[in-house]
Amino acid sequence: MAGLELLSDQGYRVDGRRAGELRKIQARMGVFAQADGSAYIEQGNTKALAVVYGPHEIRGSRARALPDRALVNCQYSSATFSTGERKRRPHGDRKSCEMGLQLRQTFEAAVLTQLHPRSQIDIYVQVLQADGGTYAACVNAATLAVLDAGIPMRDFVCACSAGFVDGTALADLSHVEEAAGGPQLALALLPSSGQIALLEMDARLHEDQLEQVLETAAQAARDVHTLLDRVVRQHVQEASILLGD
Amino acid sequence: MAAGFKTVEPLEYYRRFLKENCRPDGRELGEFRTTTVNIGSIGTADGSSLVKLGNTTVICGIKVEFGAPPTDAPDKGYVVPNVDLSPLCSWRFRSGPPGEEAQVASQFIADVIENSQVVQKEDLCISPGKLAWVLYCDLICLNHDGNILDACTFALLAALKNVQLPEVTINEETALAEVNLKKKSYLNIRTHPVATSFAVFDDTLLIVDPTEEEENLATGTLTVVMDEEGKLCCLHKPGGSGLTGAKLQDCMSRAVTRHKEVKKLMDEVFKSMKPK
Repeated sequence: MAGLELLSDQGYRVDGRRAGELRKIQARMGVFAQADGSAYIEQGNTKALAVVYGPHEIRGSRARALPDRALVNCQYSSATFSTGERKRRPHGDRKSCEMGLQLRQTFEAAVLTQLHPRSQIDIYVQVLQADGGTYAACVNAATLAVLDAGIPMRDFVCACSAGFVDGTALADLSHVEEAAGGPQLALALLPSSGQIALLEMDARLHEDQLEQVLETAAQAARDVHTLLDRVVRQHVQEASILLGD
Repeated sequence: MAAGFKTVEPLEYYRRFLKENCRPDGRELGEFRTTTVNIGSIGTADGSSLVKLGNTTVICGIKVEFGAPPTDAPDKGYVVPNVDLSPLCSWRFRSGPPGEEAQVASQFIADVIENSQVVQKEDLCISPGKLAWVLYCDLICLNHDGNILDACTFALLAALKNVQLPEVTINEETALAEVNLKKKSYLNIRTHPVATSFAVFDDTLLIVDPTEEEENLATGTLTVVMDEEGKLCCLHKPGGSGLTGAKLQDCMSRAVTRHKEVKKLMDEVFKSMKPK
């Protein structure tokens, strides 16, 4: 797209951020009383909601029950009004199924499933407004929701997207930057151990530059972790005040 | 002890409260839960609203698109509502194609739009026979704690009042539509339909705004949709226990009061948003 400068000479992006700067993140836990765990996150203009039910008995066929660990079931749904162009199918289409699978794989790595054999944990994610970085927002929201449900996890799962423009790695891409067509990386990290739960890359990137982009994404994920940690502590503090500690 | 009793004999537990003319959450029989509404929070939608009726949360997003008007009504646009009840909002729903409750709710909203003439379809026409506006209204339930129909109707109304249509001119030479995104105007909302739902207990007692537990214990439900001038837009009573004419009249007078409450809330919200 000629004419749209993703990175200016002074190092500013389209929305005025620096290369490694994240968008404003606001998150809340326990938004719905009915579900076991719920959370809402806003990353810039991307708004995602996650709801967790479980651990509970397996619904549907008992045969799917795993004898030594819990089954993690993720469903991703994107509202029809979440994107600029109206989306025809909110769920059930290929992209939603792929996202659901990616979320499941991410959380199977983090949740201590061995503690709940023969049971099921449901994670439902709903994207209300998509402005880039939907996978990252979903993972971050789902982490908070799982923590709100009290399901034990190995570590936080923090995710962030990264891209590469003009020799510089950009963190937390917005929709405009994603649509420009450059290489994009989505990273889900377990911050304390530095282990990568999920890594996905689109478009072409030279192997020499991979290191730089990966480091930018990892640093951004760690920044997200600091924020989510603060949100959880605040929530617990408020909850303990209400319980009259 | 009370919790144990509630699990074993939920109906008896409820009857004890109803005898004292109140409900477990402290409300009276004719009292609604706290209603809050938030308008225009979704930037990508052309009109949006979020309504909370107690714990029941419904978000409505409206997207406008071009469409060809139907052949039997060439000077009319149309409105397509859709209610989405996913496993996100409650235990009871399964993922997959829309279940019964979602389809009934979608049809109910379509009937309300049609009967109340909230939006005059002729206003949506751009070029008769060729081009018209199509409003896709998607209502997503985020948390189901009973009384979905009231929340959906309110969310839809608030979102419709928030929709802005850009100006469209048909270029005479190319016969193509030119959209001017800078000039937008609000939809002309003719009427304000407000829904009031009731649950029937033991074939006699009527309670307003049932929660999910109350809906499960009820022997019947009734939803009345009222307009400003006290005109009845829709009456939805899907089977269940019978009601006498007198009880129905009580319901309708309660619906009229509810209409005033909701209208007041909506006017307050829109007034606070005006300086833009």
